[in-house]
Amino acid sequence: MIALAKVRSVTAAASSDADLISAHAAGDPYAFSELVKRHRDRMWAVALRTLRDPEEAADALQEAFISAFRAASSFRAESQVTTWLHRIVVNACLDRMRRRQTRPTVPLPEAGPGEPVAPRDAMSDRETSLIVQQALMELPEEQRAPIVLVDVEGYSVAETAQLLGIAEGTVKSRCARGRAKLAKVLGHLRNRIADANVPADGVNVQEQRQWEGR
Amino acid sequence: MTGMERVPMGPPWSVDLIADLHAGVLPPEVAAQLRPRVEADPEAVEILQALDATLEDLHALPPIPMPDHVAARIDAALAAEARPAAPVVSLDEARKRRNRRLGLGGAGVLVAAAAAFGVVLAVSPGTQKSTDNAAQPTPTTSSAPGNAAPPLAVKGDDLGSVFGEVLKAQNYGPLETPDRLAGCLKGGGITSTSKPLGISPITLKGKEAVMAILPGGAVGQFRLVVLDPDTCGPDKPEGVLADNTIKPR
Repeated sequence: MIALAKVRSVTAAASSDADLISAHAAGDPYAFSELVKRHRDRMWAVALRTLRDPEEAADALQEAFISAFRAASSFRAESQVTTWLHRIVVNACLDRMRRRQTRPTVPLPEAGPGEPVAPRDAMSDRETSLIVQQALMELPEEQRAPIVLVDVEGYSVAETAQLLGIAEGTVKSRCARGRAKLAKVLGHLRNRIADANVPADGVNVQEQRQWEGR
Repeated sequence: MTGMERVPMGPPWSVDLIADLHAGVLPPEVAAQLRPRVEADPEAVEILQALDATLEDLHALPPIPMPDHVAARIDAALAAEARPAAPVVSLDEARKRRNRRLGLGGAGVLVAAAAAFGVVLAVSPGTQKSTDNAAQPTPTTSSAPGNAAPPLAVKGDDLGSVFGEVLKAQNYGPLETPDRLAGCLKGGGITSTSKPLGISPITLKGKEAVMAILPGGAVGQFRLVVLDPDTCGPDKPEGVLADNTIKPR
């Protein structure tokens, strides 16, 4: 009874994620569930926004949390628990994206990328969110993942490069491409400008490649 | 950096180039020369503003709550993960021991492993009654179609004894497809649109069957349905051998 009471009090009193990880490693049966409960919405958003498919997102998250559960005892406090969890979730999502790379991306049924989806000023916040969400889903995977991490989740370019295993210049460049597309889809960019300026001319594309690896 | 990078001519500049400038893709010396020229061009400024507005939209995206059925599935998977570390013992014995430790009844104590072995089977009317005896799954020697491993044998009629193993599986066995499963569930009046949390061929009292674990309608609850692959179908309620809801104590 004393032992159980002790572990329960650790879980209840734990104020930080790191405390929960330590409690889990020490055998507290509540600690990991509490950690998952704290972060599952954020991780769900990352997985869903990265993979687009709810079934795949659920599979990826399940894999990720199981893998985190097993690895938690070797977690070292040099990194934030959220960064560590994110890395595991992103890796699980990337694995799935790599596995399905040969499969074509299923286009969403709404407006195509060339069409602004609705007049901006007539929308409620909720509608705006749905439209932004939908526009995000229309991006190619290689642009969507860095944009989700940098622009939605607030990770630095360096952290994102590390999470995705690509060069920082590639993260910036993919974000730039994705944002340009989103600006058009979301109606921030007047079509006249977008049409006049996109696609990039050959020289820029060439220079782009030269700059990307930085 | 070579110091020889060419500063793109303009205006006009492509949206992609301005997006590169905006994202910090360009080499610093190129960006330093390009920025004042871009900022002097109204059309380019409009593109920069559009990119800023796009970033604001992305920053403002709200979190997406995890649906309950996904949360339940992950809880179940973690409970199953915790299970191997827990000693598998008779539930009666475990309860007695725990009650002695706590000096009280079972209410209020939930360990992660309990979802895997300390389950209560809430038996639906008309379905078979389960016992409280939990035991380790015991493989039998018969094999299931489509799976080289022998099916899990239910100890007595305690479906909880194979819960953890079924939860980890996605093996439709003789039912073969999700459509066939959906038809058999329909026969028992169960309309489940989601993929089962776990499914596996089992043997129940020596007879081959398939157990599917479905979300139980609340976090931590699961519905265990056992189907007779030979007789189940959309209009055949007799094909449902058991339909129990389990919940952690």
